[in-house]
Amino acid sequence: MRNVLVGPVSVVGRASMGLMATLGGATMLLGRILRALLPPRFDRDEAWRQLYAVGVKSSAIVMVTALFVGAIMVIQTAFYVQRTGATSLLGFGVGFTVFAEIGPILIGLMFSGRVGANNTAELGTMVVTEQVDALRALAIDPIGYLVVPRFIAMIVMMLMLMALGDVFAIIGAALTADTLVGVDPSVLIGDILDSHLLDEYLLGLGKAFCFGVSISVLSCWYGLGVRGGATGVGRAVNNSVVANAAAIFFIDFVMGWIFPVGL
Amino acid sequence: MNAALERGFRAVGAPLVAVGSHAFGIYSVFAQVVMALLKGAVRWREVVRQSYLIGNRSLFFITVTLGFLGLISVYQVASQIQRILPDFTMMGPAFIQLMWREFAPTITGLMIATRVGSGIAAEIGSMVVTEQVDALRMCNADPVRYLIVPRTIASTVMVMMLTIYAVFIATIAGMVLADVVFNVSPSTFVSLSMVSGQDVVLGLVKALSFGFWIPIVAGQAGLSASGGSAGVGWATTRAVVASSFAVILLDFIISGIGYTVFDL
Amino acid sequence: MSGAAIRCEGLGKRFDDTWVLRDVDLDVYRGEVLGLIGPGGHGKSVLLKCLAGLLSPDAGRVLVDGEDLARLGPLGLARVREQYGYVFQNYALFDFMSVRDNVAFPLRQQAHLPPAEIDARVAARLADVGLAHALDLLPRELSGGMKKRVGLARATVGDPAILLYDDPSAGLDPVTSSKIFQLIARMHRPAAATVVVSHDIDRMRSVCSRYVMLEHGHVVFDGPEAALADAPESVRAFFFGAAHKHLEGR
Repeated sequence: MRNVLVGPVSVVGRASMGLMATLGGATMLLGRILRALLPPRFDRDEAWRQLYAVGVKSSAIVMVTALFVGAIMVIQTAFYVQRTGATSLLGFGVGFTVFAEIGPILIGLMFSGRVGANNTAELGTMVVTEQVDALRALAIDPIGYLVVPRFIAMIVMMLMLMALGDVFAIIGAALTADTLVGVDPSVLIGDILDSHLLDEYLLGLGKAFCFGVSISVLSCWYGLGVRGGATGVGRAVNNSVVANAAAIFFIDFVMGWIFPVGL
Repeated sequence: MNAALERGFRAVGAPLVAVGSHAFGIYSVFAQVVMALLKGAVRWREVVRQSYLIGNRSLFFITVTLGFLGLISVYQVASQIQRILPDFTMMGPAFIQLMWREFAPTITGLMIATRVGSGIAAEIGSMVVTEQVDALRMCNADPVRYLIVPRTIASTVMVMMLTIYAVFIATIAGMVLADVVFNVSPSTFVSLSMVSGQDVVLGLVKALSFGFWIPIVAGQAGLSASGGSAGVGWATTRAVVASSFAVILLDFIISGIGYTVFDL
Repeated sequence: MSGAAIRCEGLGKRFDDTWVLRDVDLDVYRGEVLGLIGPGGHGKSVLLKCLAGLLSPDAGRVLVDGEDLARLGPLGLARVREQYGYVFQNYALFDFMSVRDNVAFPLRQQAHLPPAEIDARVAARLADVGLAHALDLLPRELSGGMKKRVGLARATVGDPAILLYDDPSAGLDPVTSSKIFQLIARMHRPAAATVVVSHDIDRMRSVCSRYVMLEHGHVVFDGPEAALADAPESVRAFFFGAAHKHLEGR
């Protein structure tokens, strides 16, 4: 009986303790990152290397994802267009969902899976194999050397990939509109351009910036907190992607609430 | 000149070869899973345990993500409608229909790919590098049949159930927001008038295929882990990307077939 | 040569472009304890995994009782593996099972024994290795030496005809290492073929009747300790150097 009563309470309690620990730890880490940026005290060569590595790792998967996102949104919108006959809805629906809502979420999730998870794994392995301790022993600040370059690289690349992904999403949408739905690509693109493109585009980029911050901070926090060998690294990666996915939906909600775009 | 050409070919060819070999690896795990299912050699007790791990442990995660998705979708759509035609009667039914057709299965699939896919790869990957998978094979327990088949069955069932739950959660979230912010009464919002049997079938077919493929893709990534903690981390990363991508690809295929062939 | 339990013919194994085993010819006979020695990273563990069919060779073949492992197919391989016991370098205990279930696992998978019989054999074998009290513990609650002994109990519980040990004393202190090698000697049945991979040549000398040394994936020595006098200088240096260093280390 006692278990029935205490069980759920302790589960909720433990979950919220974990959430608070993550939030607090990640915020502290963000604070240390910002302090290392003003005045800039980080390894610039490492930052360039990270920019390159992050871009190489994620560009292909983001582009392919974006192609499919555009395609799927056309198919889903076409379903309604077919029933209502309002062809101009196609451009509006695709433009809005791809640029402002579903596009950023899916590209952010993919980026989190590819770059964030990889980052947690990399840092976690460095912790497990005592490389981070070795850095400290050499009087090199792990924040300035490891975390800040990744922070910068992920924010910059997330922005660039979102801008690039939007282009590919439009290509995917145009191809699908042409082949499956039978709408001329030029009509579709014209409709998209007519439907308050800039607001939505900027909202998407704003979300991308916030995703970049949250993915880099959370993935570094989980990576540096790894304990206990190969199993620990795997578990940290698992936790990191879960936390990032939740953060992405939360940020998407907050940004959409603060900056309503549309007609 | 030749060296540059060779480098160019390598740069293009290496990723293609890697993708090809991963695809072949995934296909071979798929074939082994199907064989095991046809033979009926399933550890049902493990299926139940995995169902609990996959289903129950994902409830909170799905609640959070789909809840936010429901809130923001309704908020955005409703602010549009408020400006052009302040008639909210169609909003709820269309929202619920779109959830069934597209967003509940796909977002649930992506969340399970993220949470469960990475978990499966981390677990199986660390079993590989600690030689537990070799030990299984020495005891004549086939790793695919022993580890991946129960997870596949559990996740197929659980993703379908979580999809239904996701529709429910998103609808509740959207309903509350519509009521509080836009004064749309719950009875207007919650209506299944637009949801046809076809929409439900389409959503469940998507959920079924996502649930089936995620453990296969992630399990294959875990089984091909090698070399210590770095290998496990890398396998986990690959599992997240590959299984999320599988969800998006399957969504495209099923939606495309549904639209062109069955007029869904 | 019909007495060979395992026979390798021209065995080669490569990872990407590097050959870690090249042209290995090797016979393992019933009744003997074969010591597989050599510097680290020169192919000993890989050879052991090839002997068990866990890795498939890229050249040559492995015959178990005259049957080529590569041609057996899943059912045949399963039948052959029932004769095997394998003690892994990093214990490889199933971390989601208790000690009892770990040791019972091969019996449950292979023979269709009644549960009571399985329990009795598991308890007896765990008592043999001195872990009768640890039946219900989980692997993470055990020390390194205890995990090794559980691994040993799991590998030997089915009374295998072929026993493979991958570095059984790795990471253990000298006293525990000696105990492990005593257990290896005790677990060896006259009809069984045993292969031990180890760096601990000093302790191997109390168990092994023949040695094979691998260097850069080649067999550079194959014979009993008595034949070492005729062996190349590098082999003698490794054998006695390693043994000597170990004595000094104590």
